[in-house]
Amino acid sequence: MSGLALVASPFCFTVQAQDYIDVEAERRAQEQGSVSAPASTTPARDPYSSPQPARSYPATSYGVNSAPAGSSIGQSAPAPVASSAAASGGSNNLGQLVLKVQQLQQEVMRLNGIVEEQAHELRTLKEQSLERYVDLDRRVSSLTTGGAVAVGAAGASAMADDSTPTVSTGAASVKEQPGEADAYRSAYALVRGQQFDEAVTAFRGFLRQYPSGRYAPNAHYWLGELYLVVQPADLESSRQSFTLLLEEYPDNAKVPDALYKLGRVHYMKGNREKAREYLDRVVREYGDSNNAAARLAQDFINENY
Amino acid sequence: MTRIILSLVLTLVTLGARAELVIEITQGVDNPTAIAVSPFAWQGGGTAPEDIAQVVQGDLARSGQFAPVDRRDMLGRPSTEKEVFYRDWRAISAEYLLIGRVSGTEQMRIEYELFDVNRQAKVFDGTETGPASEARMLAHRVSDKIYEKLTGIPGAFATRLLYVSVTRNPTGKDYYRLTLADSDGARPIVLLESREPILAPSWSPDGSEIAYVSFETTRPAIFRQNLATGQREQLTNFKGLNSSPAWSPDGKTMAMVLSKDGSPDLYLMDLASKRLTRITRHYAIDTEPTWMPDGKSLLFTSDRGGRPQIYRYDLRSGTTERVTYEGAYNARARVAQDGRNVVVVHQSNGRFHIAIYDLVTNRMQVLTSTELDESPSIAPNGSMVLYATKSGDRGILAAVSVDGGVKFRLPAREGDVREPAWSPYMSR
Repeated sequence: MSGLALVASPFCFTVQAQDYIDVEAERRAQEQGSVSAPASTTPARDPYSSPQPARSYPATSYGVNSAPAGSSIGQSAPAPVASSAAASGGSNNLGQLVLKVQQLQQEVMRLNGIVEEQAHELRTLKEQSLERYVDLDRRVSSLTTGGAVAVGAAGASAMADDSTPTVSTGAASVKEQPGEADAYRSAYALVRGQQFDEAVTAFRGFLRQYPSGRYAPNAHYWLGELYLVVQPADLESSRQSFTLLLEEYPDNAKVPDALYKLGRVHYMKGNREKAREYLDRVVREYGDSNNAAARLAQDFINENY
Repeated sequence: MTRIILSLVLTLVTLGARAELVIEITQGVDNPTAIAVSPFAWQGGGTAPEDIAQVVQGDLARSGQFAPVDRRDMLGRPSTEKEVFYRDWRAISAEYLLIGRVSGTEQMRIEYELFDVNRQAKVFDGTETGPASEARMLAHRVSDKIYEKLTGIPGAFATRLLYVSVTRNPTGKDYYRLTLADSDGARPIVLLESREPILAPSWSPDGSEIAYVSFETTRPAIFRQNLATGQREQLTNFKGLNSSPAWSPDGKTMAMVLSKDGSPDLYLMDLASKRLTRITRHYAIDTEPTWMPDGKSLLFTSDRGGRPQIYRYDLRSGTTERVTYEGAYNARARVAQDGRNVVVVHQSNGRFHIAIYDLVTNRMQVLTSTELDESPSIAPNGSMVLYATKSGDRGILAAVSVDGGVKFRLPAREGDVREPAWSPYMSR
């Protein structure tokens, strides 16, 4: 028995030292580990009697510090069980059982690793898809603002709000009604799908059903945007939607965007003076907070006045 | 027991040049600041006990952030402000000039002044006092101040290193020495000498005590040792593994790895009562604990996911979560004082490198290009990482800045060196 241990001890060590190099080695280690496992049933085996940590330098960083951990990986847990098994008559069945438990432990550890990694991957993917979503929002928004505006940050800020509609200050007390979020989301999905006519219908329906809902200001804003991109554009309806938003929800986060858009709408309607009033107002009221809408308004003034 | 030949050095015995470390800078920043350190004037009798300016100059050069001017190029050797002529220093392209005066054979006093050559103005001055026997440490403190003034980051020169050196003995047992040295490798002191392995040296948070694993009693046991008194205490003597001692930030608890109850798991020992608390319970190997600076959680290495990765154990909730995902192997974490940067041994392409993992951005950056790197230890100011690596067939220490920009090596004159542990800021 002790002879076997002497042979097996360094054997285990090599196997275990490779344990972390790659999957192949791991598999090999498992197979060989199962062969050498009976050796670990000998209580005589003492991995600490020799200065093993000095032997293998790199792989045992995990081991060196934790010292002979490297030499006892996978063995240390079952060893006592095994020795007691051996002591109680050395039943072959028990030995086999111990072996199986070891294999199962290894398997569970491997699976545990996979679960951890996949959970992590899922989290990462979720974060990424949210980022992509915001990015898409920005691009859709720049489309809906008439295309002339190069990837506007105003859109981004407006759209970022849309993904998780936030209602600021004044309307903060407004409770979301059952089904409201879903209705809003499905209408909004149409915007993302560039089905603008359907989106207009959907948002109108939404406002009829939830006229003072939590998402109502967002819906007004989107209607204003959508009336500009449908064919033919409905400038007057767009103006009304934006104006409604301004009047009903003066504290809403989308107000600067709506003001900017109103300026644009009036400009398109040929009312340069009225347009300038709105644009100036955005710059004046939001210009120093580095607001994207204010920046866009300023750019628009510079280009067209 | 007869085969255990152990010579314990309980009192601090200075060793000659036997295991002294020599520093070679292998890579500095692209545009190091040119600084001239004029030899400090000695205002005592006889010759100066220590060339303070040389020590400061060495520190600044080793940081990689500075390019000290060669003394032979200096057109003057001022030691007072009146003697400073800026044009002399502009002529040799020095951006800063450091001058100083040293006095006192018992109680040493170093006065120093820093000048901005381009602005022609004094930017900083200061004084360091202490026993003359600690002259080099006083010089390192000067370096710390200058470094902080010019980089905005506190210096970590007035700190110390622990490392284990091994002298191979082809005919018998190897020699293991636990050595304490200044951060520049100077003044090595052997704390413990043994024919059996010494492992995992680590520091108490105030730098007054150390802990390590020694095999001197046939099995691994954790010891703590007071640096000032040399007093030594064996903390554990359990069957199986006793390893990886790690002092908690408040110094009251020590995390350690024991396998007395089966597989290696993490335990906390209350140092006053010696009471043990088992904190992980898993048939996989949980090892190499290290404390987060707030003392509320521990990072450790576990192969519970099939391969060694870093996990975090939260002491309040008792929950464990995986931290690292990048790479097939991440082990032996050490956390910077900011609680954000974690240095690990990271395996990529079959090689073991030192990598830094940012707990906020979750990014892993490989810092080293050498192979077989291990045992990273981070400077108390978070600027440099000291680690063990191989040069040829010898184990040496090397250091790299946390941005990977500055590198230097500290090869020993003899034997293998490994398991460095950078001290915290020393309490005075």
